[in-house]
Amino acid sequence: MRGVLTIARRELAALFYSPIAYAVIGLFALGAALVFVAGFVPGQEATVRTVFDATVWLLVFLVPAVGMRLLSEEFARGTVERLMTLPVSESQVVAGKWLACVFFLAVMLAALLVPVAVLEFVAEPDYGPVFTGLLGLLLVGAVYAAVAVFASATTQNQVVAFMVAVFINCGLTFVLFFLPRSDVVGPEAQAALHYANLNRQYADFAKGLIDVRHFVYFASGTLFFLYAAVKLLESRRWR
Amino acid sequence: MIEAQQLTKRYGPTLAVDTVSFTVAPGSVVGFLGPNGAGKSTTIRMLTGYLPPTSGRATIGGFDVLTQAFEARRQLGYLPESTPLYPEMRAEEYLHFVGKLQGMPRGGRRRRIDEVVEQCGLSLVRRRTIGRLSKGNRQRVGIASTLLHDPPVLILDEPTSGLDPNQMSHVRDLIRGLAGRRTVLLSSHLLPEVQRVCDRAVIIAAGRVVADGTLEELRQRATQTAPASPVLIEVKGTVEAVKAALRNVPYAASMDAAPAGEAGWVDAWLVPEGAADVRADAAAVLSSAGLLVREMRREAATLEEFFIRVTDVARNADTNGVAQEKEMLLGEPAGSSAGGTA
Repeated sequence: MRGVLTIARRELAALFYSPIAYAVIGLFALGAALVFVAGFVPGQEATVRTVFDATVWLLVFLVPAVGMRLLSEEFARGTVERLMTLPVSESQVVAGKWLACVFFLAVMLAALLVPVAVLEFVAEPDYGPVFTGLLGLLLVGAVYAAVAVFASATTQNQVVAFMVAVFINCGLTFVLFFLPRSDVVGPEAQAALHYANLNRQYADFAKGLIDVRHFVYFASGTLFFLYAAVKLLESRRWR
Repeated sequence: MIEAQQLTKRYGPTLAVDTVSFTVAPGSVVGFLGPNGAGKSTTIRMLTGYLPPTSGRATIGGFDVLTQAFEARRQLGYLPESTPLYPEMRAEEYLHFVGKLQGMPRGGRRRRIDEVVEQCGLSLVRRRTIGRLSKGNRQRVGIASTLLHDPPVLILDEPTSGLDPNQMSHVRDLIRGLAGRRTVLLSSHLLPEVQRVCDRAVIIAAGRVVADGTLEELRQRATQTAPASPVLIEVKGTVEAVKAALRNVPYAASMDAAPAGEAGWVDAWLVPEGAADVRADAAAVLSSAGLLVREMRREAATLEEFFIRVTDVARNADTNGVAQEKEMLLGEPAGSSAGGTA
Protein backbone atom coordinates (compact mmCIF):
# COMPACT_ATOMS: atom_id res chain seq x y z
CA MET A 1 0.00 0.00 0.00
CA ARG A 2 2.87 2.30 0.84
CA GLY A 3 4.33 1.79 -2.61
CA VAL A 4 0.96 2.55 -4.19
CA LEU A 5 0.62 5.84 -2.29
CA THR A 6 4.20 6.85 -3.10
CA ILE A 7 3.56 6.29 -6.80
CA ALA A 8 0.20 8.09 -6.60
CA ARG A 9 1.69 11.11 -4.85
CA ARG A 10 4.47 11.49 -7.40
CA GLU A 11 1.97 11.09 -10.20
CA LEU A 12 -0.33 13.79 -8.81
CA ALA A 13 2.59 16.16 -8.39
CA ALA A 14 3.58 15.50 -12.01
CA LEU A 15 -0.02 16.01 -13.18
CA PHE A 16 -0.33 19.35 -11.46
CA TYR A 17 3.12 20.35 -12.70
CA SER A 18 1.97 20.06 -16.31
CA PRO A 19 -0.31 22.67 -17.91
CA ILE A 20 -2.59 19.91 -19.23
CA ALA A 21 -4.10 19.47 -15.76
CA TYR A 22 -5.13 23.09 -15.48
CA ALA A 23 -6.35 23.18 -19.07
CA VAL A 24 -8.55 20.14 -18.46
CA ILE A 25 -9.99 21.49 -15.20
CA GLY A 26 -10.54 24.91 -16.75
CA LEU A 27 -12.24 23.50 -19.84
CA PHE A 28 -14.39 21.27 -17.71
CA ALA A 29 -15.48 24.06 -15.38
CA LEU A 30 -16.26 26.28 -18.36
CA GLY A 31 -18.22 23.56 -20.15
CA ALA A 32 -20.19 22.70 -17.02
CA ALA A 33 -21.04 26.34 -16.44
CA LEU A 34 -22.20 26.83 -20.04
CA VAL A 35 -24.42 23.74 -19.97
CA PHE A 36 -25.86 24.85 -16.65
CA VAL A 37 -26.62 28.38 -17.85
CA ALA A 38 -28.09 27.09 -21.11
CA GLY A 39 -30.41 24.86 -19.08
CA PHE A 40 -31.79 27.84 -17.18
CA VAL A 41 -35.10 28.31 -18.97
CA PRO A 42 -37.77 30.53 -17.35
CA GLY A 43 -40.80 28.56 -16.29
CA GLN A 44 -38.99 25.20 -16.17
CA GLU A 45 -37.40 23.54 -13.19
CA ALA A 46 -33.84 24.54 -12.41
CA THR A 47 -31.66 21.44 -12.22
CA VAL A 48 -28.06 20.28 -12.30
CA ARG A 49 -29.17 17.04 -13.93
CA THR A 50 -28.44 18.41 -17.41
CA VAL A 51 -24.94 19.34 -16.33
CA PHE A 52 -24.31 15.88 -14.90
CA ASP A 53 -25.65 14.16 -18.02
CA ALA A 54 -23.36 16.28 -20.18
CA THR A 55 -20.43 15.49 -17.90
CA VAL A 56 -20.86 11.74 -18.42
CA TRP A 57 -20.24 12.31 -22.12
CA LEU A 58 -17.42 14.76 -21.55
CA LEU A 59 -15.56 12.19 -19.44
CA VAL A 60 -15.23 9.98 -22.53
CA PHE A 61 -12.63 12.46 -23.81
CA LEU A 62 -11.41 14.24 -20.70
CA VAL A 63 -10.20 11.19 -18.76
CA PRO A 64 -8.02 9.94 -21.64
CA ALA A 65 -6.51 13.43 -21.85
CA VAL A 66 -5.59 13.28 -18.18
CA GLY A 67 -4.45 9.66 -18.18
CA MET A 68 -2.68 9.28 -21.53
CA ARG A 69 0.73 10.09 -20.06
CA LEU A 70 0.51 7.83 -17.00
CA LEU A 71 2.66 4.96 -18.30
CA SER A 72 3.53 6.03 -21.85
CA GLU A 73 5.61 8.89 -20.47
CA GLU A 74 7.54 6.44 -18.30
CA PHE A 75 8.28 4.38 -21.40
CA ALA A 76 9.28 7.40 -23.50
CA ARG A 77 11.61 8.76 -20.80
CA GLY A 78 12.99 5.34 -19.92
CA THR A 79 12.14 5.90 -16.25
CA VAL A 80 10.10 2.70 -16.29
CA GLU A 81 13.38 0.77 -16.21
CA ARG A 82 14.48 2.45 -12.99
CA LEU A 83 11.02 2.11 -11.50
CA MET A 84 10.64 -1.58 -12.28
CA THR A 85 14.04 -2.39 -10.81
CA LEU A 86 13.07 -0.84 -7.47
CA PRO A 87 11.29 -3.08 -4.97
CA VAL A 88 7.85 -2.20 -6.30
CA SER A 89 5.54 -4.49 -8.26
CA GLU A 90 3.73 -3.87 -11.54
CA SER A 91 0.37 -3.98 -9.72
CA GLN A 92 1.54 -1.31 -7.26
CA VAL A 93 2.64 0.96 -10.10
CA VAL A 94 -0.61 0.50 -12.00
CA ALA A 95 -2.74 0.97 -8.87
CA GLY A 96 -0.81 4.10 -7.89
CA LYS A 97 -1.22 5.66 -11.33
CA TRP A 98 -4.91 4.84 -11.39
CA LEU A 99 -5.43 6.24 -7.91
CA ALA A 100 -3.75 9.51 -8.88
CA CYS A 101 -5.99 9.78 -11.93
CA VAL A 102 -9.17 9.14 -9.87
CA PHE A 103 -8.09 11.71 -7.29
CA PHE A 104 -7.54 14.23 -10.04
CA LEU A 105 -11.03 13.51 -11.40
CA ALA A 106 -12.49 14.05 -7.95
CA VAL A 107 -10.85 17.48 -7.85
CA MET A 108 -12.17 18.20 -11.32
CA LEU A 109 -15.71 17.04 -10.50
CA ALA A 110 -15.68 19.36 -7.52
CA ALA A 111 -16.21 22.11 -10.09
CA LEU A 112 -19.77 20.77 -10.35
CA LEU A 113 -20.43 22.00 -6.84
CA VAL A 114 -20.47 25.54 -8.25
CA PRO A 115 -23.80 25.09 -10.12
CA VAL A 116 -25.13 23.28 -7.05
CA ALA A 117 -24.19 26.28 -4.91
CA VAL A 118 -25.94 28.59 -7.37
CA LEU A 119 -29.06 26.45 -7.12
CA GLU A 120 -28.87 26.58 -3.35
CA PHE A 121 -28.79 30.36 -3.65
CA VAL A 122 -31.88 30.66 -5.88
CA ALA A 123 -33.88 27.59 -4.87
CA GLU A 124 -33.95 24.50 -2.73
CA PRO A 125 -32.12 21.73 -4.54
CA ASP A 126 -32.74 18.07 -3.75
CA TYR A 127 -29.36 16.94 -2.47
CA GLY A 128 -30.03 13.20 -2.82
CA PRO A 129 -29.68 12.96 -6.61
CA VAL A 130 -26.88 15.56 -6.54
CA PHE A 131 -24.66 13.39 -4.40
CA THR A 132 -25.59 10.06 -5.97
CA GLY A 133 -24.99 11.75 -9.30
CA LEU A 134 -21.54 12.91 -8.24
CA LEU A 135 -20.76 9.44 -6.90
CA GLY A 136 -21.91 7.92 -10.19
CA LEU A 137 -19.71 10.32 -12.15
CA LEU A 138 -16.72 9.36 -10.03
CA LEU A 139 -17.41 5.66 -10.63
CA VAL A 140 -17.66 6.28 -14.37
CA GLY A 141 -14.39 8.22 -14.09
CA ALA A 142 -12.80 5.29 -12.24
CA VAL A 143 -13.58 2.93 -15.13
CA TYR A 144 -12.29 5.46 -17.67
CA ALA A 145 -9.17 6.00 -15.57
CA ALA A 146 -8.52 2.25 -15.65
CA VAL A 147 -9.03 2.33 -19.43
CA ALA A 148 -6.58 5.24 -19.67
CA VAL A 149 -3.92 3.42 -17.62
CA PHE A 150 -4.38 0.37 -19.83
CA ALA A 151 -4.19 2.45 -23.02
CA SER A 152 -1.04 4.21 -21.87
CA ALA A 153 0.54 0.82 -21.14
CA THR A 154 0.23 -0.09 -24.82
CA THR A 155 2.54 2.58 -26.21
CA GLN A 156 5.17 5.18 -25.44
CA ASN A 157 3.30 7.68 -27.59
CA GLN A 158 0.84 9.77 -25.59
CA VAL A 159 -1.27 10.65 -28.62
CA VAL A 160 -1.70 6.98 -29.49
CA ALA A 161 -2.57 6.25 -25.85
CA PHE A 162 -5.22 8.99 -25.98
CA MET A 163 -6.72 7.55 -29.17
CA VAL A 164 -6.79 4.01 -27.79
CA ALA A 165 -8.51 5.17 -24.60
CA VAL A 166 -11.11 7.26 -26.47
CA PHE A 167 -11.73 4.34 -28.79
CA ILE A 168 -12.44 1.98 -25.88
CA ASN A 169 -14.57 4.56 -24.07
CA CYS A 170 -16.60 5.12 -27.24
CA GLY A 171 -17.05 1.38 -27.51
CA LEU A 172 -18.47 1.31 -23.97
CA THR A 173 -20.88 4.16 -24.66
CA PHE A 174 -21.72 5.11 -28.28
CA VAL A 175 -21.39 1.64 -29.75
CA LEU A 176 -23.35 0.01 -26.93
CA PHE A 177 -25.99 2.70 -27.37
CA PHE A 178 -26.56 2.23 -31.09
CA LEU A 179 -25.84 -1.47 -31.51
CA PRO A 180 -28.84 -2.78 -29.49
CA ARG A 181 -31.11 -0.42 -31.45
CA SER A 182 -30.09 -1.89 -34.77
CA ASP A 183 -31.47 -5.08 -36.34
CA VAL A 184 -28.05 -6.72 -36.46
CA VAL A 185 -28.31 -8.34 -33.03
CA GLY A 186 -30.93 -10.63 -31.59
CA PRO A 187 -33.10 -9.77 -28.58
CA GLU A 188 -30.96 -11.67 -26.03
CA ALA A 189 -27.81 -9.96 -27.20
CA GLN A 190 -29.66 -6.66 -27.10
CA ALA A 191 -30.39 -7.11 -23.42
CA ALA A 192 -26.77 -7.97 -22.71
CA LEU A 193 -25.48 -4.99 -24.68
CA HIS A 194 -27.95 -2.76 -22.92
CA TYR A 195 -26.60 -3.92 -19.60
CA ALA A 196 -22.99 -3.41 -20.69
CA ASN A 197 -23.64 0.20 -21.68
CA LEU A 198 -21.74 2.35 -19.25
CA ASN A 199 -24.02 5.36 -19.47
CA ARG A 200 -27.06 3.23 -18.77
CA GLN A 201 -25.37 2.03 -15.60
CA TYR A 202 -24.89 5.64 -14.66
CA ALA A 203 -28.48 6.66 -15.35
CA ASP A 204 -29.84 5.33 -12.05
CA PHE A 205 -27.25 7.27 -10.05
CA ALA A 206 -28.45 10.47 -11.73
CA LYS A 207 -31.99 9.66 -10.58
CA GLY A 208 -30.80 9.24 -7.03
CA LEU A 209 -30.80 5.45 -7.01
CA ILE A 210 -27.94 3.41 -5.60
CA ASP A 211 -28.03 -0.20 -6.73
CA VAL A 212 -25.45 -2.86 -5.85
CA ARG A 213 -25.57 -4.19 -9.40
CA HIS A 214 -24.19 -0.91 -10.71
CA PHE A 215 -21.36 -1.03 -8.20
CA VAL A 216 -20.55 -4.53 -9.37
CA TYR A 217 -20.52 -3.30 -12.96
CA PHE A 218 -18.17 -0.37 -12.29
CA ALA A 219 -15.88 -2.34 -9.99
CA SER A 220 -15.50 -5.24 -12.40
CA GLY A 221 -14.93 -2.87 -15.33
CA THR A 222 -12.23 -1.03 -13.40
CA LEU A 223 -10.53 -4.22 -12.25
CA PHE A 224 -10.64 -5.73 -15.71
CA PHE A 225 -8.73 -2.85 -17.31
CA LEU A 226 -6.31 -2.51 -14.38
CA TYR A 227 -5.53 -6.21 -14.62
CA ALA A 228 -4.94 -5.90 -18.36
CA ALA A 229 -2.61 -2.93 -17.70
CA VAL A 230 -0.59 -4.95 -15.16
CA LYS A 231 -0.22 -7.80 -17.64
CA LEU A 232 0.92 -5.40 -20.35
CA LEU A 233 3.47 -3.81 -18.05
CA GLU A 234 4.76 -7.24 -17.07
CA SER A 235 5.17 -8.29 -20.67
CA ARG A 236 7.80 -5.57 -21.50
CA ARG A 237 6.68 -5.85 -25.06
CA TRP A 238 7.69 -2.38 -26.13
CA ARG A 239 11.36 -3.27 -26.25
CA MET B 1 27.79 -10.82 -5.54
CA ILE B 2 26.65 -10.54 -9.14
CA GLU B 3 26.36 -13.67 -11.16
CA ALA B 4 25.33 -14.23 -14.78
CA GLN B 5 24.75 -17.85 -15.71
CA GLN B 6 24.42 -18.63 -19.41
CA LEU B 7 22.29 -15.54 -20.02
CA THR B 8 20.75 -15.59 -23.48
CA LYS B 9 18.34 -13.16 -25.08
CA ARG B 10 16.74 -13.74 -28.42
CA TYR B 11 14.59 -11.19 -30.23
CA GLY B 12 12.85 -13.22 -32.89
CA PRO B 13 15.60 -14.58 -35.11
CA THR B 14 18.23 -12.19 -33.68
CA LEU B 15 20.48 -13.47 -30.95
CA ALA B 16 21.23 -10.34 -28.94
CA VAL B 17 23.04 -12.00 -26.05
CA ASP B 18 24.50 -15.48 -26.38
CA THR B 19 25.19 -17.60 -23.26
CA VAL B 20 26.94 -14.86 -21.31
CA SER B 21 28.40 -16.03 -17.99
CA PHE B 22 30.54 -14.16 -15.50
CA THR B 23 30.70 -13.37 -11.80
CA VAL B 24 31.61 -10.21 -9.94
CA ALA B 25 33.32 -10.90 -6.61
CA PRO B 26 32.28 -8.91 -3.50
CA GLY B 27 34.07 -5.59 -3.19
CA SER B 28 35.45 -5.48 -6.71
CA VAL B 29 34.86 -2.94 -9.46
CA VAL B 30 34.40 -4.70 -12.77
CA GLY B 31 34.19 -3.06 -16.16
CA PHE B 32 31.72 -4.48 -18.65
CA LEU B 33 33.32 -3.47 -21.87
CA GLY B 34 32.19 -3.72 -25.46
CA PRO B 35 31.52 -1.68 -28.58
CA ASN B 36 28.10 -0.08 -29.04
CA GLY B 37 25.49 -2.67 -29.89
CA ALA B 38 27.47 -5.56 -28.41
CA GLY B 39 24.66 -6.50 -26.03
CA LYS B 40 25.87 -4.69 -22.91
CA SER B 41 22.59 -3.03 -22.03
CA THR B 42 20.54 -6.12 -22.80
CA THR B 43 22.78 -8.18 -20.52
CA ILE B 44 22.51 -5.57 -17.78
CA ARG B 45 18.73 -5.47 -18.13
CA MET B 46 18.65 -9.22 -17.59
CA LEU B 47 21.03 -8.92 -14.63
CA THR B 48 18.81 -6.35 -12.95
CA GLY B 49 15.66 -8.38 -13.60
CA TYR B 50 14.14 -5.75 -15.88
CA LEU B 51 14.11 -8.04 -18.90
CA PRO B 52 13.54 -11.75 -18.47
CA PRO B 53 16.23 -13.78 -20.29
CA THR B 54 15.25 -16.24 -23.00
CA SER B 55 17.33 -18.74 -21.07
CA GLY B 56 19.86 -18.61 -18.25
CA ARG B 57 19.73 -17.09 -14.81
CA ALA B 58 21.03 -14.06 -12.92
CA THR B 59 21.55 -13.56 -9.21
CA ILE B 60 22.39 -10.51 -7.12
CA GLY B 61 23.71 -11.08 -3.62
CA GLY B 62 22.64 -14.70 -3.99
CA PHE B 63 19.01 -13.82 -4.82
CA ASP B 64 17.54 -14.83 -8.15
CA VAL B 65 16.51 -11.60 -9.86
CA LEU B 66 13.23 -13.05 -11.13
CA THR B 67 12.00 -15.45 -8.45
CA GLN B 68 13.33 -13.42 -5.47
CA ALA B 69 12.96 -10.11 -7.23
CA PHE B 70 12.34 -7.82 -4.23
CA GLU B 71 15.20 -9.26 -2.15
CA ALA B 72 17.54 -8.89 -5.13
CA ARG B 73 16.33 -5.33 -5.84
CA ARG B 74 16.95 -4.26 -2.24
CA GLN B 75 20.59 -5.35 -2.67
CA LEU B 76 20.93 -3.35 -5.84
CA GLY B 77 21.45 0.23 -6.93
CA TYR B 78 20.88 0.41 -10.67
CA LEU B 79 21.51 3.34 -12.98
CA PRO B 80 20.07 2.56 -16.43
CA GLU B 81 21.69 3.81 -19.62
CA SER B 82 21.30 7.57 -20.26
CA THR B 83 20.10 8.13 -16.67
CA PRO B 84 16.32 8.36 -16.93
CA LEU B 85 14.89 10.86 -14.41
CA TYR B 86 11.66 12.80 -13.95
CA PRO B 87 12.53 16.29 -15.23
CA GLU B 88 9.66 18.00 -13.40
CA MET B 89 10.85 16.86 -9.95
CA ARG B 90 13.38 18.59 -7.76
CA ALA B 91 16.57 16.62 -7.16
CA GLU B 92 15.67 16.21 -3.50
CA GLU B 93 12.07 15.17 -4.26
CA TYR B 94 13.35 12.49 -6.59
CA LEU B 95 15.69 11.14 -3.93
CA HIS B 96 12.80 11.04 -1.45
CA PHE B 97 10.67 9.21 -4.02
CA VAL B 98 13.31 6.54 -4.63
CA GLY B 99 14.03 6.26 -0.89
CA LYS B 100 10.35 5.75 -0.10
CA LEU B 101 10.04 3.03 -2.71
CA GLN B 102 13.14 1.40 -1.20
CA GLY B 103 11.15 1.32 2.04
CA MET B 104 13.33 3.75 3.98
CA PRO B 105 11.67 5.39 7.00
CA ARG B 106 11.39 9.18 6.90
CA GLY B 107 14.08 10.05 9.44
CA GLY B 108 16.69 7.69 8.03
CA ARG B 109 15.82 8.86 4.56
CA ARG B 110 16.44 12.54 5.39
CA ARG B 111 19.81 11.77 6.96
CA ARG B 112 20.85 9.49 4.11
CA ILE B 113 19.82 12.05 1.48
CA ASP B 114 22.02 14.64 3.20
CA GLU B 115 24.89 12.15 3.05
CA VAL B 116 24.58 11.17 -0.61
CA VAL B 117 23.95 14.78 -1.67
CA GLU B 118 27.22 15.66 0.03
CA GLN B 119 29.03 12.62 -1.37
CA CYS B 120 27.89 13.30 -4.94
CA GLY B 121 28.54 17.04 -4.78
CA LEU B 122 24.91 18.08 -5.18
CA SER B 123 24.65 20.41 -2.19
CA LEU B 124 24.19 23.53 -4.31
CA VAL B 125 21.56 22.11 -6.64
CA ARG B 126 19.53 19.81 -4.41
CA ARG B 127 16.46 22.05 -4.54
CA ARG B 128 16.64 22.63 -8.27
CA THR B 129 14.31 21.05 -10.81
CA ILE B 130 16.04 18.10 -12.49
CA GLY B 131 15.11 19.33 -15.98
CA ARG B 132 17.17 22.46 -15.38
CA LEU B 133 20.31 20.67 -14.21
CA SER B 134 23.42 20.17 -16.36
CA LYS B 135 24.01 16.71 -17.78
CA GLY B 136 26.80 16.11 -15.28
CA ASN B 137 24.62 17.05 -12.34
CA ARG B 138 21.77 14.91 -13.62
CA GLN B 139 24.20 12.01 -13.75
CA ARG B 140 25.10 12.72 -10.13
CA VAL B 141 21.44 12.76 -9.12
CA GLY B 142 21.06 9.38 -10.81
CA ILE B 143 24.09 7.97 -9.02
CA ALA B 144 22.98 9.50 -5.71
CA SER B 145 19.61 7.77 -6.08
CA THR B 146 21.35 4.41 -6.50
CA LEU B 147 23.44 4.92 -3.34
CA LEU B 148 20.53 6.02 -1.19
CA HIS B 149 19.55 2.75 0.46
CA ASP B 150 23.23 1.84 0.89
CA PRO B 151 23.12 -1.19 -1.42
CA PRO B 152 26.01 -3.67 -1.46
CA VAL B 153 25.75 -3.96 -5.26
CA LEU B 154 25.82 -1.20 -7.88
CA ILE B 155 25.19 -1.66 -11.57
CA LEU B 156 25.88 1.42 -13.68
CA ASP B 157 25.15 1.36 -17.41
CA GLU B 158 27.42 3.82 -19.26
CA PRO B 159 27.50 6.30 -16.40
CA THR B 160 29.79 8.75 -18.19
CA SER B 161 28.39 8.73 -21.71
CA GLY B 162 27.45 12.16 -22.98
CA LEU B 163 29.51 14.01 -20.40
CA ASP B 164 32.35 16.42 -21.11
CA PRO B 165 35.87 15.28 -20.10
CA ASN B 166 35.75 17.27 -16.87
CA GLN B 167 32.41 15.84 -15.76
CA MET B 168 33.57 12.39 -16.85
CA SER B 169 36.57 12.66 -14.61
CA HIS B 170 34.40 13.68 -11.63
CA VAL B 171 31.96 10.82 -12.13
CA ARG B 172 34.86 8.37 -12.45
CA ASP B 173 36.42 9.60 -9.23
CA LEU B 174 33.06 9.23 -7.54
CA ILE B 175 32.77 5.61 -8.70
CA ARG B 176 36.38 4.85 -7.84
CA GLY B 177 35.65 6.16 -4.34
CA LEU B 178 32.95 3.51 -3.94
CA ALA B 179 35.35 0.63 -4.50
CA GLY B 180 36.04 -1.75 -1.64
CA ARG B 181 32.83 -1.10 0.25
CA ARG B 182 30.59 -2.01 -2.64
CA THR B 183 30.51 -4.40 -5.54
CA VAL B 184 30.30 -2.42 -8.76
CA LEU B 185 29.60 -3.47 -12.33
CA LEU B 186 30.15 -0.60 -14.72
CA SER B 187 29.48 -0.82 -18.42
CA SER B 188 31.40 1.26 -20.88
CA HIS B 189 32.56 1.35 -24.47
CA LEU B 190 35.65 3.29 -23.43
CA LEU B 191 38.71 1.27 -22.52
CA PRO B 192 40.58 4.14 -20.78
CA GLU B 193 37.62 4.54 -18.44
CA VAL B 194 37.68 0.89 -17.47
CA GLN B 195 41.45 1.05 -17.04
CA ARG B 196 41.12 3.96 -14.70
CA VAL B 197 38.19 2.77 -12.62
CA CYS B 198 38.13 -1.02 -12.66
CA ASP B 199 40.18 -3.92 -11.33
CA ARG B 200 38.76 -6.40 -13.77
CA ALA B 201 37.10 -6.33 -17.16
CA VAL B 202 34.64 -8.53 -18.97
CA ILE B 203 34.77 -7.82 -22.69
CA ILE B 204 31.69 -8.59 -24.75
CA ALA B 205 31.25 -8.43 -28.52
CA ALA B 206 28.39 -9.54 -30.75
CA GLY B 207 26.56 -10.84 -27.68
CA ARG B 208 29.34 -13.09 -26.42
CA VAL B 209 32.01 -12.80 -23.76
CA VAL B 210 35.33 -12.65 -25.63
CA ALA B 211 37.63 -11.91 -22.69
CA ASP B 212 37.34 -11.91 -18.91
CA GLY B 213 40.12 -11.24 -16.42
CA THR B 214 42.03 -8.71 -14.36
CA LEU B 215 43.53 -5.85 -16.36
CA GLU B 216 46.98 -7.39 -15.81
CA GLU B 217 45.82 -10.76 -17.17
CA LEU B 218 44.27 -9.09 -20.18
CA ARG B 219 47.48 -7.15 -20.82
CA GLN B 220 49.45 -10.40 -20.76
CA ARG B 221 46.98 -12.03 -23.08
CA ALA B 222 47.27 -9.03 -25.36
CA THR B 223 51.03 -9.53 -25.62
CA GLN B 224 50.78 -13.28 -26.10
CA THR B 225 48.13 -13.22 -28.78
CA ALA B 226 49.39 -10.14 -30.59
CA PRO B 227 50.75 -10.67 -34.10
CA ALA B 228 54.59 -10.53 -33.94
CA SER B 229 55.55 -6.89 -33.72
CA PRO B 230 58.70 -5.81 -35.57
CA VAL B 231 61.73 -4.45 -33.77
CA LEU B 232 62.96 -1.16 -35.18
CA ILE B 233 66.73 -0.50 -35.02
CA GLU B 234 68.80 2.54 -35.98
CA VAL B 235 72.38 1.53 -36.84
CA LYS B 236 75.47 3.39 -38.13
CA GLY B 237 76.85 1.72 -41.26
CA THR B 238 75.87 0.62 -44.74
CA VAL B 239 72.68 -1.19 -45.68
CA GLU B 240 74.62 -4.24 -46.90
CA ALA B 241 76.67 -4.53 -43.70
CA VAL B 242 73.62 -4.24 -41.49
CA LYS B 243 71.69 -6.83 -43.49
CA ALA B 244 74.62 -9.22 -43.41
CA ALA B 245 74.92 -8.89 -39.65
CA LEU B 246 71.19 -9.25 -38.93
CA ARG B 247 71.03 -12.51 -40.92
CA ASN B 248 72.82 -14.09 -37.95
CA VAL B 249 70.10 -13.19 -35.41
CA PRO B 250 68.38 -16.38 -34.22
CA TYR B 251 64.53 -16.60 -34.14
CA ALA B 252 64.18 -13.82 -36.69
CA ALA B 253 61.48 -14.52 -39.25
CA SER B 254 62.44 -11.75 -41.61
CA MET B 255 64.35 -8.49 -41.75
CA ASP B 256 65.01 -5.51 -43.98
CA ALA B 257 67.08 -2.33 -43.95
CA ALA B 258 67.05 1.03 -45.73
CA PRO B 259 69.09 4.24 -45.52
CA ALA B 260 67.77 6.60 -42.85
CA GLY B 261 67.17 10.30 -43.44
CA GLU B 262 70.44 11.15 -41.79
CA ALA B 263 73.58 10.27 -43.83
CA GLY B 264 75.56 7.29 -42.54
CA TRP B 265 72.61 5.84 -40.56
CA VAL B 266 70.42 2.89 -41.51
CA ASP B 267 66.90 1.96 -40.38
CA ALA B 268 66.47 -1.79 -39.96
CA TRP B 269 63.39 -3.88 -39.20
CA LEU B 270 63.48 -7.27 -37.62
CA VAL B 271 60.37 -9.44 -37.39
CA PRO B 272 60.72 -12.18 -34.75
CA GLU B 273 59.26 -15.65 -34.93
CA GLY B 274 56.14 -15.79 -32.79
CA ALA B 275 56.47 -13.96 -29.52
CA ALA B 276 60.28 -14.36 -29.32
CA ASP B 277 62.20 -11.39 -27.97
CA VAL B 278 65.09 -10.85 -30.37
CA ARG B 279 66.36 -7.53 -29.07
CA ALA B 280 69.25 -8.79 -26.95
CA ASP B 281 70.51 -11.08 -29.71
CA ALA B 282 70.23 -8.33 -32.30
CA ALA B 283 72.26 -5.95 -30.13
CA ALA B 284 74.96 -8.59 -29.55
CA VAL B 285 75.20 -9.48 -33.25
CA LEU B 286 75.41 -5.85 -34.35
CA SER B 287 78.05 -4.86 -31.81
CA SER B 288 80.21 -7.89 -32.62
CA ALA B 289 80.04 -6.80 -36.26
CA GLY B 290 81.34 -3.40 -35.10
CA LEU B 291 78.12 -1.55 -35.91
CA LEU B 292 76.92 1.18 -33.57
CA VAL B 293 73.30 1.04 -32.41
CA ARG B 294 71.67 4.25 -31.20
CA GLU B 295 68.08 3.13 -30.90
CA MET B 296 66.16 -0.10 -30.68
CA ARG B 297 62.44 -0.33 -29.88
CA ARG B 298 59.56 -2.77 -30.00
CA GLU B 299 55.94 -1.67 -29.96
CA ALA B 300 54.41 -3.65 -27.09
CA ALA B 301 50.87 -4.85 -27.76
CA THR B 302 48.47 -2.51 -26.00
CA LEU B 303 45.21 -3.31 -24.33
CA GLU B 304 43.57 -0.86 -26.70
CA GLU B 305 44.75 -2.82 -29.71
CA PHE B 306 43.69 -6.06 -28.02
CA PHE B 307 40.21 -4.68 -27.36
CA ILE B 308 39.77 -3.63 -30.97
CA ARG B 309 41.08 -6.96 -32.18
CA VAL B 310 38.84 -9.23 -30.07
CA THR B 311 35.71 -7.19 -30.56
CA ASP B 312 36.28 -6.79 -34.30
CA VAL B 313 36.91 -10.46 -34.88
CA ALA B 314 33.82 -11.49 -32.97
CA ARG B 315 31.73 -9.03 -34.92
CA ASN B 316 33.10 -10.09 -38.30
CA ALA B 317 32.74 -13.73 -37.41
CA ASP B 318 29.11 -13.07 -36.75
CA THR B 319 28.30 -11.00 -39.80
CA ASN B 320 30.55 -12.52 -42.46
CA GLY B 321 30.82 -16.02 -41.13
CA VAL B 322 34.57 -15.96 -40.72
CA ALA B 323 34.31 -19.02 -38.53
CA GLN B 324 37.95 -19.99 -38.61
CA GLU B 325 39.16 -16.69 -37.31
CA LYS B 326 36.60 -16.83 -34.54
CA GLU B 327 37.76 -20.29 -33.60
CA MET B 328 41.35 -19.11 -33.49
CA LEU B 329 40.59 -16.22 -31.22
CA LEU B 330 37.94 -17.58 -28.95
CA GLY B 331 39.57 -20.98 -28.66
CA GLU B 332 36.43 -22.87 -29.50
CA PRO B 333 35.29 -24.84 -32.52
CA ALA B 334 33.55 -22.95 -35.30
CA GLY B 335 29.87 -23.19 -34.46
CA SER B 336 27.11 -24.14 -36.79
CA SER B 337 25.78 -20.61 -36.29
CA ALA B 338 28.37 -19.19 -38.67
CA GLY B 339 26.87 -19.13 -42.16
CA GLY B 340 29.68 -20.66 -44.20
CA THR B 341 33.19 -19.43 -44.81
CA ALA B 342 34.12 -16.17 -46.45
